[in-house]
Amino acid sequence: MTQEQTLPYPVGQQVPNASLGAMIQRLLPKVPVEIGETKTDLDVTVAPEHLFALVQGLRDAKDLKFDFLRNITGVDLVESMALKYAFYSFTHGHALQVTVPTEAGHPHVPSLVSLYPAADWHEREAHEMFGFVFDGHPNLKNLLLEEDLHIHPLLKAHPLQKADIKQGIEDSSAGFTF
Amino acid sequence: MTRWPEPALVSKLEDPSLNTVDMTVNIGPQHPATHGVFRMVLTIDGEMVVDCEPYIGYLHRGLEKLSENNDYRQAMGYWDRTDYLAGMACEAAYCYAVEKISGVTVPERAEYIRVIMAELSRINSHFMFLGAFGADVGSFGTSFVYAWRERERIYDFFEEVAGDRMFPTYIKIGGVAMDLPDNFESRVRWLLGSINQGLEDLDGLLTGNEIFVERCRDLAPMTAERAIALGITGPVLRATGIPWDIRKAEPYGVYDRLKFDIPVGRQGDIFDRFFVRLSEMYQSTRIIEQCLDQMPGGLVLNPDLPKTLRIDNAEAYFRYEGTKGEYGVYAMARGGNKPYRMKLRSPSFCNLSALREMVVGTYVADAIIILGSLDIVLGEVDK
Repeated sequence: MTQEQTLPYPVGQQVPNASLGAMIQRLLPKVPVEIGETKTDLDVTVAPEHLFALVQGLRDAKDLKFDFLRNITGVDLVESMALKYAFYSFTHGHALQVTVPTEAGHPHVPSLVSLYPAADWHEREAHEMFGFVFDGHPNLKNLLLEEDLHIHPLLKAHPLQKADIKQGIEDSSAGFTF
Repeated sequence: MTRWPEPALVSKLEDPSLNTVDMTVNIGPQHPATHGVFRMVLTIDGEMVVDCEPYIGYLHRGLEKLSENNDYRQAMGYWDRTDYLAGMACEAAYCYAVEKISGVTVPERAEYIRVIMAELSRINSHFMFLGAFGADVGSFGTSFVYAWRERERIYDFFEEVAGDRMFPTYIKIGGVAMDLPDNFESRVRWLLGSINQGLEDLDGLLTGNEIFVERCRDLAPMTAERAIALGITGPVLRATGIPWDIRKAEPYGVYDRLKFDIPVGRQGDIFDRFFVRLSEMYQSTRIIEQCLDQMPGGLVLNPDLPKTLRIDNAEAYFRYEGTKGEYGVYAMARGGNKPYRMKLRSPSFCNLSALREMVVGTYVADAIIILGSLDIVLGEVDK
């Protein structure tokens, strides 16, 4: 049989979550962040106005090098909303989640397309499904829904059935009928 | 001997002072070359693609909304319809994500069964790619028929195990629905022999075919840095030369006990993508053989599962090496028997978002092959 393949990247997370959080606070002292943890990753909470500076630091700092944007998820928390960014570093093997809490409605968040081209479709999806506005996105229009349909189906207020899609969600009187 | 077209005529055609008019060509959504309901609008100058605008969403079924409004176990039926060529793998990814946030453990035997099913799904999905891609490049039905023979046999095995071929709903939170049939070991070994034979046939038909190789080589090459920046994962990333596979990089289940190699390409062109997938299938058969040797006896479903699964505040982003790349499931629970938010990061979606960059500057006929080489499944792209 062939001999064991050597991999050019570290297998599994090398740095424990606590010291990764301390490292982020040490290397990016100007960005105010809160450190937490999810069931899988370290979680860094940052306000929308500091998001771009944080992500630029995460990408460029030599000991962090988060070069891969995996995923962007919007979450509707009814009174507020949040965006969850998942990052990964091919150089060091760390994984990280960045949480951006925003107000409800149509909150403005800086677009990451200039840093990560991968953000393009993820941001368009979060825009149409939740109503986030990504400042600086070159082509912020509907992706999965029809182009002229201005509803945000993944908001909790949007009913599962009997939605009057012609009038939009504001005029719909139907509640949850499931 | 005269050469045609004459060099003088060619230089006249390439004269930049000649005015040409761009033309718009709409391909899809109902078009066999788009592998599903995918539409792309190409702007072409002669035969050269100047711009490409992909349109998706024709198969959007609201997977995430439906998951939020269904019980953890009811939502399973929607998840195996995402990557419908590898239903077992999608179910496993969903279950792993729910198990992460709930803390439900899985018996060891069920972990091995999940690996066997996921690798058979991977082989199944890659066979589909080999057949369809051969047809894209121009072998018409021949490669398709070779690939279908093996896929039918894998589907027959799934039917024996779970009662359904494409959408088995076999993998459950906390294990798998039922134990394998008594004769499964000899059945799987026979299946592996058949798969290896099928792979050799396709290898001879495609890799051994000079026309096929010349058509694919050096077409749309991509560097590893660019692929990472564009969010490409799976065989398309590995074709650029990075042996990155979540089964090795962030192992889940019992993959850390299994020995296998990660095939890589050299320059990320179409031929490398094809060859990486072909080599991966041999590795998958290797993994299944080891599973059959190592598999312990015992239960296949956690006996302490509550009747209704209720999960308190928790969130997780579980990543799974799906057949097309990183199949990530973001799960968030805030009490109750339904997830608060379920998000699918589908590999086809992310790979497809890089299509524009790949096809601009190539010929129209190449654009079809480049799309085929990404191996997208529209069920997964559109959710």
